Amino acid sequence: MSGYTEGIIILLCINAIAAMGVSLLTGFTGIFSLGHAAYMAVGAYTTAILTVEYGVHYIPAILLGGAMAMIVAYVIGVPTLKLMGDYYAIASIGLGETIRLILENWQSLTRGARGYPGIEGYTTLYVSLGFFAVMAFGMFNLIHSRFGRAFKSCRDDYIAASLLGFNTARYRVLSLVLSAFYCGVSGALLGGFLSFIQPIMFDMIKSTELTSVVVFGGLGSMSGTLIGAAVITLVTELFRPISQYRMLIYGAVLVIIMVLRPEGIMGQYELGPRFFRMLKNRFTKESSEKEGEPS
Amino acid sequence: MDTFLQQTINGLSLGSVYALIAVGYSLVYSILLFSNFAHGGFLVIGGYICYFALKSMGVSIWVAGFLSLLGAGFSAVLTERLAYKPIRERTNVTLYLLIASMGMSIVIENIFVIVVGGRFRALPPVIPTHPVHLFGLATTSAFDILSLLAAVFFLGALQLFLIKTKWGLAIRAAAYDLKTAGLMGVNVNLLISIVFFVAGFLAAVGGIFLSVRYTLYPQLGMITIKAFVAAVIGGLGSLPGAVVGSLILGLAEMLTAGFISSQLRDIVVFSLLIITLLIRPQGLFGKNISEKV
Amino acid sequence: MMTATPKNVVLELDNLNKFFGGVHAVRDMTFTISRGELAGLIGPNGAGKTTIFNLVTGVYSPDSGHINFLGEDITFLKSFQIIRKGVARTFQNLRLFPRSTALENVMVAMQQHHGYSFGEAITHMGKWGKKEREIHLNSMDILDRVGLAERAHQESGTLPYGMQRRLEIARALALEPEFLLLDEPAAGMNPEEVNELNDLIVGIHEEFNLTILVIEHHMDLVMEICPHIICMNFGAKIAEGNPDEIQEHPEVLKAYLGEEVEE
Repeated sequence: MSGYTEGIIILLCINAIAAMGVSLLTGFTGIFSLGHAAYMAVGAYTTAILTVEYGVHYIPAILLGGAMAMIVAYVIGVPTLKLMGDYYAIASIGLGETIRLILENWQSLTRGARGYPGIEGYTTLYVSLGFFAVMAFGMFNLIHSRFGRAFKSCRDDYIAASLLGFNTARYRVLSLVLSAFYCGVSGALLGGFLSFIQPIMFDMIKSTELTSVVVFGGLGSMSGTLIGAAVITLVTELFRPISQYRMLIYGAVLVIIMVLRPEGIMGQYELGPRFFRMLKNRFTKESSEKEGEPS
Repeated sequence: MDTFLQQTINGLSLGSVYALIAVGYSLVYSILLFSNFAHGGFLVIGGYICYFALKSMGVSIWVAGFLSLLGAGFSAVLTERLAYKPIRERTNVTLYLLIASMGMSIVIENIFVIVVGGRFRALPPVIPTHPVHLFGLATTSAFDILSLLAAVFFLGALQLFLIKTKWGLAIRAAAYDLKTAGLMGVNVNLLISIVFFVAGFLAAVGGIFLSVRYTLYPQLGMITIKAFVAAVIGGLGSLPGAVVGSLILGLAEMLTAGFISSQLRDIVVFSLLIITLLIRPQGLFGKNISEKV
Repeated sequence: MMTATPKNVVLELDNLNKFFGGVHAVRDMTFTISRGELAGLIGPNGAGKTTIFNLVTGVYSPDSGHINFLGEDITFLKSFQIIRKGVARTFQNLRLFPRSTALENVMVAMQQHHGYSFGEAITHMGKWGKKEREIHLNSMDILDRVGLAERAHQESGTLPYGMQRRLEIARALALEPEFLLLDEPAAGMNPEEVNELNDLIVGIHEEFNLTILVIEHHMDLVMEICPHIICMNFGAKIAEGNPDEIQEHPEVLKAYLGEEVEE
């Protein structure tokens, strides 16, 4: 395999891990965040500092990076997740930017805005595939469990959910903390892939991208999220030679998807029997409607 | 004391520019109930129109400013027609509008990156920036005083428009309930266009003053996040809230810069947001909306 | 009407008051529901019936007074804590999860009594398989009981209205409650469906050993199935007793006739 292909596969894994985290939060729990790149940053910096300054082996360091993102998310989430809708979205921008600014200004720990070089290149093909496989396994199992149903009911109707005995506040925090773990690990892997991290890599544009991938794939569909992450990563790579048009196309695609198919590629369905049943129903319905039309 | 007075004036001046942006953003929110992230794009459009009118056409600031405000207003209407109207006519999920607006914001920003390039441009010196001594108490710049006055003028004009005109009344009615306003015979599409025009128009005023303050570049629109924060602190959808929130934010920013550290001003801004929302989740002037069960 | 001794009291409202702005939505409300009762709460539109349900289930907190459930003060507990003590309810304006299937709607409630750990959830090991099967089978049983087994895999939002009402009852039953609150279960139904619903309510009352409180706007249903009726108007209790007593009560007649004239 060429180095280029290998690089793309690693990047796919890294992006897919973060996207799964955001998908759990936004697609399954209905919490719209525009600051999740900050949790990637926390994971990336924690792991970089642990491996470079303290010589910790990269596997525990990556997990600790994820854990640190969880802790930060928990401390932030308990008070702020009482906010709903656009209020939380705007607050999450503030939270994300604050974390980034702290990383930029805490020179002694993070070396500031110029970035943190010299990270060991621990994110090999097998490491990234391994993390992706394990984390995707856990995530798909989770959404097909009582927790998945609980998250979805908090998303669809939090009053009905609390009147079915769910502690909705706790599930919201749990969802945030888990999504932060996924983003933290993803950030840690990104650091090991690039050997260099910088606070500006984790700005609001990155957060927007994470959320867009999830919307593109379909809110409430984990397989859609993976497809969305793959498509967006590949398209981004494809357009790298004409990078000045890349962002323009990316923005236009977002608008066009919202106008033409706002439910994303997969709608709320997983790639499975129910999705195909839905497709079949749709096509048979459309053709019967056409037949019914007066000519 | 000198610094305090000076930073207070600067803060009010910056806050009043935020207010111009926040009011438009809040106005759109009050009608369509979504955060229009493309709002920053209108500001950038206004800034560039003003810049090129001054540079290439050699017109006076009055003409350039007028063109800029009209241009930004119409771009806002165009954005709504192209990107938001098809969505809002089909569903009432405001999340889709939010994401489309993020897309539009990226599109507008990158059109400028491609067409005019990403470099920083200074507006020709059409707005005086020389120092002004206030009764020997403090020194500030003419620019700060002018932007404060301009903001007061335009916000006053907006207030008159909303109170005295037929369309102003319709907009206030639609802010309570868009559907009912439609049923009462208000032309909803025209009303939404007017709202976007006003929002773009005011954003361009802010854009001109911001491009004098910070120079002009395609990402200048990012500064609207501060205005969003101000609107949320004030209470989403509330216009007095947007103004008060903006002034608080401008003051907090300038006082932090003057007395603590310029680097901490953004952290202070965002902390202010979080603290306000924790104490009053609906913002200072927001309606306390609880769902009917 | 059964005499209430402390032992068999399920729900006890004690001088409950609730204001919304200047509106006195619930006024000095006091009543008790005993174990095994099938009681009705009636009154004209806007009398405050649903507000009582919202107070009991913790959606709102009362401004004064107390609510006891099985001898325990639940006045200021949160909704989910009250539900976990054995209360379940339905809603006047259906609150199903419309994009989920009928079965999923019931499973969401059923899982409250069939827990397993987070570790088992992400690995699908340990008790996961056994518990998920239980949740699935028991949910199907309940759907079958309300006559919706054939519709189990249909998205609940696409079900006919009467079925959605029954599905909500099924979902409430899946919580395995001791006390069930039904908020206008017959709203929007035709007479035939109302008859079926009567049978269903009386049936589950015996079968599941439930205590039930039904809100109804229409007197006929309540008169037919509820031996104990509380009638309220303008937030206050105006009468309480058996159907005969209620039917002859002058205040009740006034409340209802007054309303009918308005309509």
